[in-house]
Amino acid sequence: MKGEPRELKIKVNGMLYELKVKPNVLLSDVLRKDLKLTGTKRGCLESTCGVCTVILDGKAVRSCSILALQANGHEVTTIEGLAQGNKLHPIQQAFIDHGAIECGFCIPGRVMVAKALLDENPHPTREEVRLAMQGVLCADVGYVKQIEAVEIAAEKMRGGE
Amino acid sequence: MAGKRQGKAKPTVMLKEEGYSVIGKPIPRVDARAKVTGEAKYAADIEVADMLWGAIKRSPHPHARILNIDKSKAERLPGVKAIITGKDFGGFKWGWSRETRDEEPLASTKVRYLYEGVAAVAAIDEDIAQEACDLIEVEYEPLAGVFDPFEAMKKGAPLVHEDRPGNLCVEYHWNFGDVEKAFSESYLVREDTFQTPRMAKGYIEPPAIVAYWTDGSHLTVHAAKGSPYFPYRILSNCFNLPLSNVRIIQPFIGSDFGGTKNDMVNGDFSAPMLAKKSGKPVKIVYTQFDELTTCLRRHPMWVTIKTGMTKDGKLKAIQTKVISDGGAYTRMSPLSNFLTGISMALPYKLPHFKTDVFCYFTNNPSSAAMRGHGIYHTRFAGDVQMDMIAEELGIDPVEMRLRNAIENPKQGKIYETINKLHLATCGVKECIEKAANEIRWEEEKKRERVKGDKAYGIGFACGTYLSGTKLSGHNACAAMVRICEDGSVSYITGATDVGQGSDTVTCAMVAEVLGIGLEDIDIKRVDTAHTPVDPGTYGSRVTVLAGEAAINAAKDAKRMLLEVAAKEFGVKPEEMDIKNKKAFVRTNPGMSIPWARLVRMACYTTPGMVIIGRGQSSRGISTYGLADFTTGIGDIGTNYSFTAQAQEVEVDLETGVVKCTDNSVIAHDCGFPLNPPAVDTQVVGGAYHPGVGAALYCEFKMDKGLTLNPNLVDYKLPRAYEAPMTKVIHVITNDPFGPFGAKEASEGSTCTAPPAVINAIHDATGVWIKDLPAKPEKVFWALKKKRELEQKKK
Amino acid sequence: MKDFEYFAPKTVEEVLSLLSQHKEEAKIIAGGQSMLVVMRQGLLAPEYVVDIKGITALDYINYDEREGLRIGALTTHQAIEKSQLIQKHFRVLSEMERNLATIQTRNWGTIGGNLCHGDPAGDPALVLIALDAKLKLKSLSRERIVAMEGFSKDMLEVDLEPDEMLVEIQVPTPRRHTGVAHEKLMVMQGDAGIVGAAVSLTLKPGDGVCEDARVVVSNAASVPLRVKEAEKRLIGKVINDHLLTEAGEIASAEADPPSDVHASSEYRKEMVKVFVKRVALKALERAKEG
Repeated sequence: MKGEPRELKIKVNGMLYELKVKPNVLLSDVLRKDLKLTGTKRGCLESTCGVCTVILDGKAVRSCSILALQANGHEVTTIEGLAQGNKLHPIQQAFIDHGAIECGFCIPGRVMVAKALLDENPHPTREEVRLAMQGVLCADVGYVKQIEAVEIAAEKMRGGE
Repeated sequence: MAGKRQGKAKPTVMLKEEGYSVIGKPIPRVDARAKVTGEAKYAADIEVADMLWGAIKRSPHPHARILNIDKSKAERLPGVKAIITGKDFGGFKWGWSRETRDEEPLASTKVRYLYEGVAAVAAIDEDIAQEACDLIEVEYEPLAGVFDPFEAMKKGAPLVHEDRPGNLCVEYHWNFGDVEKAFSESYLVREDTFQTPRMAKGYIEPPAIVAYWTDGSHLTVHAAKGSPYFPYRILSNCFNLPLSNVRIIQPFIGSDFGGTKNDMVNGDFSAPMLAKKSGKPVKIVYTQFDELTTCLRRHPMWVTIKTGMTKDGKLKAIQTKVISDGGAYTRMSPLSNFLTGISMALPYKLPHFKTDVFCYFTNNPSSAAMRGHGIYHTRFAGDVQMDMIAEELGIDPVEMRLRNAIENPKQGKIYETINKLHLATCGVKECIEKAANEIRWEEEKKRERVKGDKAYGIGFACGTYLSGTKLSGHNACAAMVRICEDGSVSYITGATDVGQGSDTVTCAMVAEVLGIGLEDIDIKRVDTAHTPVDPGTYGSRVTVLAGEAAINAAKDAKRMLLEVAAKEFGVKPEEMDIKNKKAFVRTNPGMSIPWARLVRMACYTTPGMVIIGRGQSSRGISTYGLADFTTGIGDIGTNYSFTAQAQEVEVDLETGVVKCTDNSVIAHDCGFPLNPPAVDTQVVGGAYHPGVGAALYCEFKMDKGLTLNPNLVDYKLPRAYEAPMTKVIHVITNDPFGPFGAKEASEGSTCTAPPAVINAIHDATGVWIKDLPAKPEKVFWALKKKRELEQKKK
Repeated sequence: MKDFEYFAPKTVEEVLSLLSQHKEEAKIIAGGQSMLVVMRQGLLAPEYVVDIKGITALDYINYDEREGLRIGALTTHQAIEKSQLIQKHFRVLSEMERNLATIQTRNWGTIGGNLCHGDPAGDPALVLIALDAKLKLKSLSRERIVAMEGFSKDMLEVDLEPDEMLVEIQVPTPRRHTGVAHEKLMVMQGDAGIVGAAVSLTLKPGDGVCEDARVVVSNAASVPLRVKEAEKRLIGKVINDHLLTEAGEIASAEADPPSDVHASSEYRKEMVKVFVKRVALKALERAKEG
């Protein structure tokens, strides 16, 4: 039936959720409205700005460009799933320590892109970091500190100082 | 220019001899953790029980009379709870200043730009609200329109506002010295016209608002507003409420840059009105499409600049004519256009200056402030033309700038410009020297420019920006510092941090003054029910002016505590100080009492005190008197920052594609960098996003009021791959009029980036691109023309 | 977004059955990044949405020296970019994917979805034409193999019946001494090219005469434009700088590019010259490498 809510089984930040959602609902809406995880931001809704980026099965994707039902049976990580209690993820800590945060609106999406990158490629070149960051728009920072913060986090995660 | 002190300015107390405990070092942002964990709530994240979603019905015509609105079909749609039109506002008009109230919350009789709001709907979800909007039937009588200033200024052109003849929004005519005489005495006189593009503000968070009434007379609003006290006043007028019944609560804000978020949009009025009508909270969240088609833009400007120069490259006179497109409503065009001329006499010594500025109404979305407000347009023209003249005279561009740069006044002295701007500090010369040194200018200018099909060039530019804007009217700015009984401190401010880091820096100032740690300060952000008034983020004022208020509030609280301590030790309060969380007698530091104990003592002894320090800033509206918009005389800023930038570009000679390389230096005089890493980020971001954006990437393309590129693929915002890894050098001048010597950071680099890039393109290729952005196609045709001219000569 | 009925079939047969049933009223969604935008804008409102993203059977990259490369239609751009196999045997495909949009698009978007979208600025179609690729289309009643060249019929219109689905991309193993390259004119990394060119050159061993050439240009017409006249200029000759310039000029003369907010038609024509030459030069170098 048209518009009939369907079952959605989705793991978000390690927790399994069973919801009923209409087919025309976006993944970002389910995260923000149903699960109250507003860390993932709502930006352009046109697949261009990247602030809605989450990690789906280990890959950075735009949650505004995915129907919620397409994530059925899949695993999603949002910004809220990064810190372990009070302990921040090294990427989060690097962004704070290196002064890479200004208004903060692009930060959740950016951190998720960085996490997906470093989980897959612990030794990215600067070029690869730039390529990853290309998918999330910023309007304040000028990107320099953010690129450097990702590199600092990468080194930390590899066990360096 | 001889300097002479005027007025009753009292410099801020300087503490630099002793060294600072908190400021001047890297200060982690107080809001960083909330932002990086996703806890920080922005306006669109706010949810209230029973909330409805709102949507705006927008006009399909750029200029039309509204004949009739039929809501009946929309009202019948299940899930619709309220519908409003422009008429619901009873003829209310608002504007950025009292004299310029020409805009309605929703258009009721006429629409003046494409997609202007004419009605709004509140429904149980977004889709239904949008569907209902589509069902509202509006009958229009389309009118002929004007779509650029040149059409608008023509005799007999259709009028955007019937009561504004000639479509003239604002004009200025200033005259200092005698430019004609100076030109006649000049060795070289040159005139050029430059054009700056129509730009989006570029922030990624679209406007959003949640509004609700707790009873018929108390309105609460959560909105992405960089200046919450503007909607506070405007909504109070609109809904006829006493100010104390209007509660604007500030969420985290995803940037502002000087317009839209410190001004009003259709949604800001519609949400409260829909909430009133429906009896439920209403949320309206704009899309990026709404932002790119209806929200405020940087004025496109046509700047004709005529400069007279001596043989040895010293400025004799500048005359400018500025034509700008103000869009459909006045908004803050008077200020934007005023700023184009006000600091033309900075950063170089200028004895004669004349300007004529004309801003026109057009049937385009309104123009307003953006980083580098007003000044960037004419500084771009000035600093590119300076290179053009340098080339004609055979003088090195850096040398030319050094010859003209204003010297840093000696301590206690003031430099006064021809239009009576006053500088206690001006580090531009040192900025030029340091930037040129860092980029190795002397060696680099000797190198070969062309490598295969690419050419490399370095461009230089200087800039200035006002800080701590001084305007009349609502510039009152205050802060409170409340010391809780356990020694923790609440810093209560009306100022907003839109991402520039002002929360952090003002907290740091409070900690520094109180002599305690940053970790002891908790900021209480804007809630107009409880926080004191402040104009918010615009005019580069928060650090300087809200900072001053914060310092004064901290001093007030400190004074109260020291009075208690002094009594204990039998000394006068002036003989004591607080440092490292200890109150002590200066001449006998052994006589001391720890902070927490002193606070407890103060609060619990009979009668216990409530320690609330109050402070205001007086600088915003006094010192040398206000700037006079009619004559262009007088300080617009409390002090002025200075910047020099050197930027290398790579030009693909076959395609015209220009890239900034990592060879990029900005030397910035912000007086004293209160939080050095934050200054770095601001300077780099200020140069890249609005600066390089204007130079290379950003422009709205219009067709009779229709925005042809209303999405972020076709409207290019600067991205990470192309960002130069700019190095920032701090030039410290310790300005006596700024808190701890500080001046604004970063708008100066917004003004240096465009001319630096354009000068670099010239250095690489020999072509001048005078209308921004320097898109590949433009550069390509310019290169082709140059080659053809060279062929002809042979 | 308007309501629709949603299906998430697990097999190709189920998809074809649904398409056969609902034909024009049904729309397939794979990555959906372009589709959801137009659906949100109200420009597209299908009654039935068939979500094929979950059909793992169509996510594969297989290579056999004789048969060539077989890519399942639901393979993501990122998988193609990172595939060791493709980097080794069809490097140009990996390079093309690396320059396609941004990382999120590459992670979720599929090559099949991209090809069926039919964007004349699209990179995959361009490179696949240069590689002489074929597409396998399936419906309930039949299966057909069509050349990549010719799949695009017009701007955003492809040779796909309402009951058909793209299931596989087939790329023949290039002959020895073939070099293939692709480049596009980007202002920013990841942009759709203002223009783009993909060139395949095959040289005769020994004298280095060009035996075969395929020159394709994007955003130069309403579909990817294969410029046979330019190819003719190169075939049978030892390619030199002069010939490459001529090839570029011929391609430019054939091109009828659009004018839009990014560039004028005249500039695009000039850039066709530049890119055909640049890319052909690169292809030539690769062909010489063997």
